[in-house]
Amino acid sequence: MKTRTRTSTRGRLLALTLMGLAFAMAPAPAPAVAQDIAVAIVVHPQTQIDNLSFDELKRIFRGDRQFWDDGRRVTLLVRAPVAEERQLILDRIYEMDEDQFREFWIGKMFRAEVAAGPKLVYSADMARDLVTVIPGAITFVPVSEVSADTRVVRIDGMLPGDPGYPLRGGT
Amino acid sequence: MRRSGTLLALLAAMTVGPLSAQTSQPQAPFLQAFLFGDALYSVQEGPAVDGFRLGQMVAHGNATLSERVIFFGELSITARNSGYSLAMERAIIRYEFGDRLKLSAGRYHTPVSYWNTEYHHGLWLQGSVARPEPIKFGSRYVPVHFVGAMAEGNLHQTPVYYAVGVGNGRGDNIAAAGDGGDVNGRRAFVASASLRPRNLFGFRVGGAVYADRISVGGVDFADELITSAHVVWRRGRIDAAAEFINVAHEPVAGGDSESSPAYYVHFGYRLSGSARDFMPYVRFEEMDISAGDVVFAGLVADYSAFIAGVRYDFDRLAALKAEYRSEEVGGGSRAAAFYAQASFAIPVAGGS
Repeated sequence: MKTRTRTSTRGRLLALTLMGLAFAMAPAPAPAVAQDIAVAIVVHPQTQIDNLSFDELKRIFRGDRQFWDDGRRVTLLVRAPVAEERQLILDRIYEMDEDQFREFWIGKMFRAEVAAGPKLVYSADMARDLVTVIPGAITFVPVSEVSADTRVVRIDGMLPGDPGYPLRGGT
Repeated sequence: MRRSGTLLALLAAMTVGPLSAQTSQPQAPFLQAFLFGDALYSVQEGPAVDGFRLGQMVAHGNATLSERVIFFGELSITARNSGYSLAMERAIIRYEFGDRLKLSAGRYHTPVSYWNTEYHHGLWLQGSVARPEPIKFGSRYVPVHFVGAMAEGNLHQTPVYYAVGVGNGRGDNIAAAGDGGDVNGRRAFVASASLRPRNLFGFRVGGAVYADRISVGGVDFADELITSAHVVWRRGRIDAAAEFINVAHEPVAGGDSESSPAYYVHFGYRLSGSARDFMPYVRFEEMDISAGDVVFAGLVADYSAFIAGVRYDFDRLAALKAEYRSEEVGGGSRAAAFYAQASFAIPVAGGS
């Protein structure tokens, strides 16, 4: 064992350089999303939430927030590939492609951060039906699929038809 | 091989069906499981034996017993020259009051290092062939596993995540956790915190503190204090992490505390376009073990390495990695090594 020396300054300088390089690099460009699609965020009728900030919506869909304020567990329902609304959500909320999305959730489960990944739904009808029967559920559907009994959540105070709504293609 | 048969039977019992939508209430018990594995080929300068090797085969399961009670388990089979060894790597039963507080007990990967809790025994998930040397599995430098109880969560309306724990600390073999109980009756304590800004997804900065008394063969050797700090940027194409760890030992018999610092800097960058399945990476590592450390003397050597490799995701859940290492151990001459690894993940979803 050698006589104790200071940890290499070469390594420290390299660490700073690499981290600076990492921050300076731009993220990967998002896949293209259809210009005319808008997605509504809907929740179970008994979930006491009318508005979410966009940051908070991201926390919920990324599994960083797993409980509603009333203590009920959040159940994520995510449209299975391939659907335009899923692509919009991957682009705007997750900022990931399909491969990154899959690895993201496998990693979260493997790290014991979440018990399970999002539940897959195979159509907007299925999403709408399940969100009304699973307490704590949250999902997304095309605006055209919203029905009278669907509880739509405002995002940053906006509804899907409002200018500047963050979950609209082309915004 | 009898142990392998037991594990295979367990895995078969966990296998229910393909991924599908859950139509039952989420409160009903259900299980999700994963299988991970890898195979390795290595060529090294010096006396080490070259050739092929089966890596760890890992079975990981998450069982939701009710809306708030969850079990996490991880079993591994590791190839040795003498056969295959079966190990319970993690077993955690957790009650979740909410996002702010989750209580658990069991066997964990000690939250004393970012890499130790970010990546576990399934090597498909991590970018490089192997873990940084200071936190490799079987490391004596830090206690990789921890048996005890934890409280963790996310502080209300803040980007701060915390974990605090109390447990058995290191075992008689300092590379192992105190699975059979606390060897000296003095509990180990660990606390970690990280800041994950909500408007800066992928960025994380944090640190940890760990304190324990180390005893071997019934003899108290030293009080141990481990501190660490990390900064991470994992977003889009970038996979960057840097961590500094310091292990300090103060002899119980008296004398000065000796510190042995270590660090690693890892940078990976996923290429774009037609080359997007490739992610080259580099890593620098260093461990500087104090010559006067009463615990590490003769057990842990200085280490430095330059690592460069590339990961190729040739399939959705399988990857090839090729890695070059230039390593210096214990102040000896620098030696080169080449590793090629095939790793995979098999998600298995189940229901009650």
